[in-house]
Amino acid sequence: MEGMAAAVAIAVGALGPALGIGYGVGKAMEAIGRNPEVSGPILVPMLIGLGFAEAIAIYALVIAFLLPK
Amino acid sequence: MQASQISTMAVAAAEEASGHSEGLASHVFFHIGPIPVTEHIFSAWVIMAILLVTAFFVGRNLSMVPRGFQNVVEILIETWMGMIHQVAGDKGRRFAPVVLTAFIFILAANWIGTTPFFGNVPGFKSPNSNLSLTAAMAIVVFALTQFFAIRTLGFGGYLREFLVPNPLHILAELSRPLSLSLRLFGNIYAGGVLVHTMLVTVPGGFLITFVFLGLELFVGVVQALIFTMLTLVFLSIANTGHGHESHGEGHAEAHH
Repeated sequence: MEGMAAAVAIAVGALGPALGIGYGVGKAMEAIGRNPEVSGPILVPMLIGLGFAEAIAIYALVIAFLLPK
Repeated sequence: MQASQISTMAVAAAEEASGHSEGLASHVFFHIGPIPVTEHIFSAWVIMAILLVTAFFVGRNLSMVPRGFQNVVEILIETWMGMIHQVAGDKGRRFAPVVLTAFIFILAANWIGTTPFFGNVPGFKSPNSNLSLTAAMAIVVFALTQFFAIRTLGFGGYLREFLVPNPLHILAELSRPLSLSLRLFGNIYAGGVLVHTMLVTVPGGFLITFVFLGLELFVGVVQALIFTMLTLVFLSIANTGHGHESHGEGHAEAHH
């Protein structure tokens, strides 16, 4: 039971970023589908945006690490 | 063996051998006089030494037509100067040393931290896997943004920023170093734990560890890029004030 808090923290905390990343990459795919030439210029901003979304999941992971087991 | 036995053994082994059994704190490695030096600071110094030696040797016989490693360095600098110009305009040149140093140091620290030596030998840990180091860099960026804001807006204008358009401006300002440090720390630390866990718990985990090391390299680049881009954007915003912000990064291919 003691490890539940950490497990719940990371499980719930990863939900939002997962949706956000999927949505973001989906939009990027859409843009590439409309105009295949933009795949180069879209790549770096997409990765940067994904880094932001993933950071939220990492905050939850850090909290999970900090909780005593 | 039963599945429950395997899983308990796996958890115990992962916790014990993950190298993070001491938690998030870092050991004091040695002392310089009265000042304790921890493992992460020592490995940061090692990486700085590597970078300085590399820079010294690259800068020695510079040729007009770059070849080899000098070419790589020139590509790096050209790309970043282009990006600095896009984000910050002509005034951006004064940020170039900070921005480039941040990028090169974080990238080198993340990449060198994935080599086999780091993490196993006592005294060598990936530097960004400690919150103190990333927080130190984030605090430096924070101090620089405040300095540039005061220089651009004047002290009165700087104080007025906290009241007039946005009363929560102070929260935004304070959340930036928090998120910068936590993002970098969380990514690198979690990556280290992940690789260790894979190595210990997965049977035949030696091979799959290479996949995760590859992921670590990728995450290292992306996080260095994000930290540096955010530093650049924050410095640029602080430098231009809130009247006229520069045109983001529209056309990335305009420079080439």
